[in-house]
Amino acid sequence: MAADSARPSGDGTSRAVAWVAPTVATLACLLVWEAAVRWFGVPIYLLPAPSGIVYKMFADYRIFYVQAIPTLSAILIGFGMAVAIGVPIATFMVYSPLFRHSVEALLITAQVLPKVALAPLFIVWFGFGLLPKVLMTFLIAFFPVVIDSVIGLASVRPESLMLVRSMGASRWKAFWKIRLPYALPSMFGGFKVAITFAVVGTLVAEFVGSDSGLGYVLVVARGDLDTLTVFAAIGWLVVIGFFFYYAVELLEKFVLRNRGRSRAHELGAGL
Amino acid sequence: MGSAAAPLIRVRSVSKTFRAGRALVPALEDLSIEVQPGEFVSLVGPSGCGKTSLMMIIGGLIEADRGEVTIHGEQVKGPFTNLGIAFQSPELLDWRTSLQNILLQIEMRDLPVREYRAGALRLLSEVGLEGFADKYPYELSGGMRQRVALCRALVHDPEILLLDEPFGALDALTRDQMNYDLQRIWLEKRKTAILVTHSIEEAVWMSDRVLVMTPRPAKVAADIAIDLPRPRDLEIKTSPTFNEYTGRIRRIFGDLGVFRMGEARRGG
Repeated sequence: MAADSARPSGDGTSRAVAWVAPTVATLACLLVWEAAVRWFGVPIYLLPAPSGIVYKMFADYRIFYVQAIPTLSAILIGFGMAVAIGVPIATFMVYSPLFRHSVEALLITAQVLPKVALAPLFIVWFGFGLLPKVLMTFLIAFFPVVIDSVIGLASVRPESLMLVRSMGASRWKAFWKIRLPYALPSMFGGFKVAITFAVVGTLVAEFVGSDSGLGYVLVVARGDLDTLTVFAAIGWLVVIGFFFYYAVELLEKFVLRNRGRSRAHELGAGL
Repeated sequence: MGSAAAPLIRVRSVSKTFRAGRALVPALEDLSIEVQPGEFVSLVGPSGCGKTSLMMIIGGLIEADRGEVTIHGEQVKGPFTNLGIAFQSPELLDWRTSLQNILLQIEMRDLPVREYRAGALRLLSEVGLEGFADKYPYELSGGMRQRVALCRALVHDPEILLLDEPFGALDALTRDQMNYDLQRIWLEKRKTAILVTHSIEEAVWMSDRVLVMTPRPAKVAADIAIDLPRPRDLEIKTSPTFNEYTGRIRRIFGDLGVFRMGEARRGG
């Protein structure tokens, strides 16, 4: 997918358009913001201009760099746990109806539970360190991983399974060679949602109580009415969110590199 | 075809009922058939009459409620693996090329893939897909995919072929071509083959013997030996003998009430 800049992407637009269009749109928004702040002379403690925010992001990079490390760790470990625990649970759910019925209600309960309300308890139980952040991140990222993995693993065609059974394949082999590959596109959909949730989860935990991380920087700066630092921290969080999202998408493209492209490009947007 | 020889496949009073919601749907009832080694047998019958269930029961992929299937005199319990299956849909894996899809058969059996590569490529060229070995399924037409599926059913040189309406979704010309290809391969290897089909012409043209099935629950309404010389060409479909066979089968369906408008009486 990397070397073919001339080839149309999925929806019929050229790859150049796929890059240029969002860049132009984003820049346009920032320009309007910049112009409005300058034109109306908005004070910096209310709303800083984008240029000022970007400048601050890099001028104070040392602080942000140090504080980003615990945030990044919590996101990565929490998301990693969500995948490492969520996928096996989804697998058991698909193979054992008894297990699925047993845990389904629990899963949904865990999801609809307002996790922000749990955050203070986590601090009581686990203190201010990395652990409560990781647990919160895991808890929020876990659900989409399980749900989309179940959907994916259940989507395999029964004929395909019959076919490999007639080849004498064991259940394990049938899982590894047929069911799992069938599930991957759906699973990656879940992973992509989960990684954005993970960023939110870590931030929630840092907001409620911690002594380090970009969320902590945010809380402190807000207390000082240092709006510029608040926005600079948000700026770095956006960068982190984008980075992780595209990292997962890149991994998806690599893992699914041999899959057939959808035929949507033949239609374009006409339908 | 010699009736003196022991049958290779023996289905004895097999019954199978499916549950569709609260309703019980009897698919097969007390059905018995025998297939001789090297014989090409077609099951022809109205759709939804349980032909597919019978195939899956013969392959040991689903269990019969009552009755038993024996192959070589041994009862089938669990998947019988000395066979090749082709379904109505090709069931190719999107992420594998034609060749890799064919060789899945070999991988799953833990056989040495390298030794079967040449054979797989030969099969591809025999069905007119030379040069398509490295194409992915989305780059192939429906007929091409079905041909790859046929190669996959043959690559390990199985004793039995189960063909569950593999040409049902193809256009008439492609279908004729595939019947031709299949006959050529079959004449060369003389597999024992069971073909499920809706097409009376296809059943007669392909087979040594046609089993006419009743509507659900399926039973054998007639067992017709097809005495036409092989290799058969498409011309033979215009011969009086051929049309006598197809007419006879149509009349049997008419008598069974398969056709609603009574036009079945017109034939033969």
